[in-house]
Amino acid sequence: MKKKLIAALLVAAMSVSVLAGCGDSKKESTKTGSDNKTSASADAKGDKADDKEDDKSGDDTASGEDVTLKLFSNLPDRKNGQGLVEQMIIDEYMEANPNVKIEVEALDEEAYKTKFKAYAMDGMPDVVSIWGQPSFLDEVLDAGVLAELNEGDYADYKFISGSLEGFKKDGKLYGLPRNTDIMLIYYNQKMFEDNSWEVPSTYEDLMTLCGTIKDAGITPIAMDGGDGWPMACFLTDLLVKVAGTEHSNIISNAISTGDFSAPELKTATQLLVDSAAAGMFQTGYDSQDYGTTQNLFTNGQAAMYCMGSWDSSMALNEDISEEIRTNIRAFTMPVVKDGKGGANDIAAWNGGGYAVSANSAVKDEAIKFLNFMYQPDKLSKYGWENGVGMSAQDQSEYMTGNETELQKQIIEILNKATSVSGTPINDCGPSAFKTAIESEIQGVSNGSTSVDDFLTTIGAACK
Amino acid sequence: MKTGRKKIGKVVLWTILIAVAVIQLFPLIWLIDFSLGSSNEMFTNGLLIIPEKIRWDNYAKAFVDGNFLLYLKNSVLINTLAVILVVIISIMAGYACRRMKWKLNNFVKTMLLLGMMIPIHATLLPNYKIYNTIGVTDTIWALLIPYVAFSLPQGLFLMTGFIESIPMELEEAAVMDGCGIYRIVFQVVTPLLKPSIATVAIMTFLNNWNEFMMASTYLSSPTWKTLPFSVLEFTGEYSSNYAVQFAVMALTAAPAVIVYIILNKHITKGVAMGAVKG
Amino acid sequence: MKKLYSNKWVIFTLVLPGVLVFLFAILAPICLSVYYGFTDYSGMGEARFVGLDNYVKLFHDPAFGRSLLNSLLLAIGFICIQHPLAMIVAAVLDKLQGKAEGVFRCIYFIPNVISVAVIAYLWKFIYNPDFGLLNNVLKVFGFEGQVNWLSQENAIWSVLVVLIWHGFGWGMLIYYTGIKNIDPVLYEAASIDGAGWWTTFSRITLPLMKPVIMINVTMAIISALKQMETVYLLTNGGPANSTQFAANYLYQQAFKAFKYGYGNAIGVVFIIICVAVTVLLNTVFRDKQEA
Repeated sequence: MKKKLIAALLVAAMSVSVLAGCGDSKKESTKTGSDNKTSASADAKGDKADDKEDDKSGDDTASGEDVTLKLFSNLPDRKNGQGLVEQMIIDEYMEANPNVKIEVEALDEEAYKTKFKAYAMDGMPDVVSIWGQPSFLDEVLDAGVLAELNEGDYADYKFISGSLEGFKKDGKLYGLPRNTDIMLIYYNQKMFEDNSWEVPSTYEDLMTLCGTIKDAGITPIAMDGGDGWPMACFLTDLLVKVAGTEHSNIISNAISTGDFSAPELKTATQLLVDSAAAGMFQTGYDSQDYGTTQNLFTNGQAAMYCMGSWDSSMALNEDISEEIRTNIRAFTMPVVKDGKGGANDIAAWNGGGYAVSANSAVKDEAIKFLNFMYQPDKLSKYGWENGVGMSAQDQSEYMTGNETELQKQIIEILNKATSVSGTPINDCGPSAFKTAIESEIQGVSNGSTSVDDFLTTIGAACK
Repeated sequence: MKTGRKKIGKVVLWTILIAVAVIQLFPLIWLIDFSLGSSNEMFTNGLLIIPEKIRWDNYAKAFVDGNFLLYLKNSVLINTLAVILVVIISIMAGYACRRMKWKLNNFVKTMLLLGMMIPIHATLLPNYKIYNTIGVTDTIWALLIPYVAFSLPQGLFLMTGFIESIPMELEEAAVMDGCGIYRIVFQVVTPLLKPSIATVAIMTFLNNWNEFMMASTYLSSPTWKTLPFSVLEFTGEYSSNYAVQFAVMALTAAPAVIVYIILNKHITKGVAMGAVKG
Repeated sequence: MKKLYSNKWVIFTLVLPGVLVFLFAILAPICLSVYYGFTDYSGMGEARFVGLDNYVKLFHDPAFGRSLLNSLLLAIGFICIQHPLAMIVAAVLDKLQGKAEGVFRCIYFIPNVISVAVIAYLWKFIYNPDFGLLNNVLKVFGFEGQVNWLSQENAIWSVLVVLIWHGFGWGMLIYYTGIKNIDPVLYEAASIDGAGWWTTFSRITLPLMKPVIMINVTMAIISALKQMETVYLLTNGGPANSTQFAANYLYQQAFKAFKYGYGNAIGVVFIIICVAVTVLLNTVFRDKQEA
């Protein structure tokens, strides 16, 4: 009896491996790729790449040794938006450099950040996505895991002035920004018109509007509250409207002293709490993830959706029904009563970007690839053409007039901006602070912790 | 009167059984149902949908983009190796601790069994450091070592129990014939242990087949990724397409469920034997 | 013969692989954890020795307390909900004869062989307030169906439901085996005495099942302590740590908050708790069994 069982298990196992044989060719190549990496020739390869870099000058298609670059990306969707753009450039680079093979490991933002930190201990891939924000970068740079870049090389890459600042430490450059991110509230224009709802100009209007929408049986704003950061960005946006340009001083003071009792912080948090209590967000917002939240909006279940400008590629995503995708528009956080921030003081920053690992065995090739990506007609142009929102480089020459309505709106928002917020609150402190605020903000918004307790707890995480 | 009560009893009995069966199965039926539709059909109020058009292409996408075959092959290979190693090592150690005469036998056995109490996830952090240092991250060893280590205590526990119940006479006869210990272990005792080997194999397989925490911490390239990764990677890749996500979930669950249904009698027996003893 | 069985070299080679695996994969990481638990190592750069700081902090950390409380809630849930249900179903199943018995047993066990990754994502959809299965079921029965299953108050119970659903077959199977092992003569005697179903169950089945129950209860408590994977994917400890568990928390602290040292300190305390609970349960149950 038992003999039969073992035999059956074995047969099952074998038939599977035979089946798997069909796809072998593809696997074989990835395997050799990673074997290369772990083999002792890694150092030698690095040297060769060095040599090549030295004597190449212009010869891009040098047919040197095979090189495998590992790219670790936070863009798992390789068929839409930013991930598509990244993949396009990778394919292009591999075609131009047949000796180079680029392996991509892509994870969701949250999973990405977790695994990045694990990698930071040891074994960082060659090219990585990073965020030019203290919560992410400070500890990483202190540990020296990212390679220094030569700022002079990028003089004609048309980076927007100031956009490199977040990626520097002691005047040295360690990464390059990919986007200019603006915090937006997307809305479904058709739904608004059909119900004759108006884009609100004050926060009170927004609250009233949300009440009306809710009464109509529709979710007012889809909010990704399962991850803590979108709400923290929302809070930053509110703080900008409450405290005006003062907000960044308030935040940096609070973080350096651990004292979050400033009245502006209280007011902004209270606004968030009141909004959530009034049912501004979907049921269960505090446990739903990015994809679920976005789908709520793109399937017409929610009238608005709070997210950054990088998501403007929704307008070109063919998985979204045409009726909705062509009707996506956006506005920025409306002004609050007695607030010091004006309508054009916006929450925006240069967050995401790329860097090269300091210990990469193929560092020169990695930097070469990085520079290739940032040639103005690559990330920036392709990004623009695919509706990904604003890059951190000057994009004006790629404007064709055929942009989506949403893109035009975003340009206008940026052009009209009288001030930009810089790094959102959760990313201003050390990563322990980030972890704390992103978890605690769920508790305060759903009413299970008081505003005061919330501010005390996140303060404690700064010490 | 009595037959009437018996009838009611039967009705109650069947109601309970069927209700539980529905609860256990319905989520899976729901999963398969929606995996055949299109994404916007999700937002309906009914329990199940009749898809406008049955979309097998969801499965095609899941199969190809989910690296299904590669990951399945990895899962099968890693788990089979883990099972073989656990069985061999536990027979050897079990025999040495039960039959051989030495002072430390109880100490060593207790030490090895201690592993049963250690929560596997507590070793995630230090092991990550160790594996990085010796360069086994992103290789098959990063999974094999912990899988074997954490299934070994249970395997050893079961094996020692079974070895004890084997009559000594057989071995004595073998010694008379001039067999060495190794031959006794592998040629005399092992064949007698077949039912227990099956039990240990099944328990080890079930323990490790679904594991993904270590896999997602220690692996980075697709070379050795296991089946759960099809699901984990897909939610990001196809975040805006629910139907395809459902398809990949159904597909990932399928191999284990099918094998289970085919071998269900043996597996339940194995689990029952292993769990009651362990 | 005796000489053969005390050959040191043979013993050494037989035990070596097992001992090596233990030393390398279990003992070494624990030692390393103990070491890093005394440092403020962030995962990168230099590790600084900070004595018992991490442990002092840990005992004042509400999130860690919440993790232990959640384990306790889960264990109680298993023992008070899953196990009685599993036992009743096992007893009912025992009454069936023939093919149906095997079919039901097979169906109940199916969720058990499905990957946690699939289960967690599937239940994420089932709990979705807008289009999830559960709220749709409520709507079919005429309720409003707007329940937020994963809210801060409900989440831990929702996690419990998933775990009960997933592990039901396992528990049922063990009770079922226990019941099958009871000598049928006892039942025959009882039925001759005219005992009803309940009397038979409470007088014969339950008492004879004691050892099985003890094993199952021990396993329930330990698996409640060790819970990580379902929670990691379903809620990742949220909202606001309401579904936090020790294993998930140490992972978060080490790999998200850059507190590798602190994460290891949690790991050490976690191991101590697990070992202590196992030993305690074994002692309690052994005494009981002897009594």
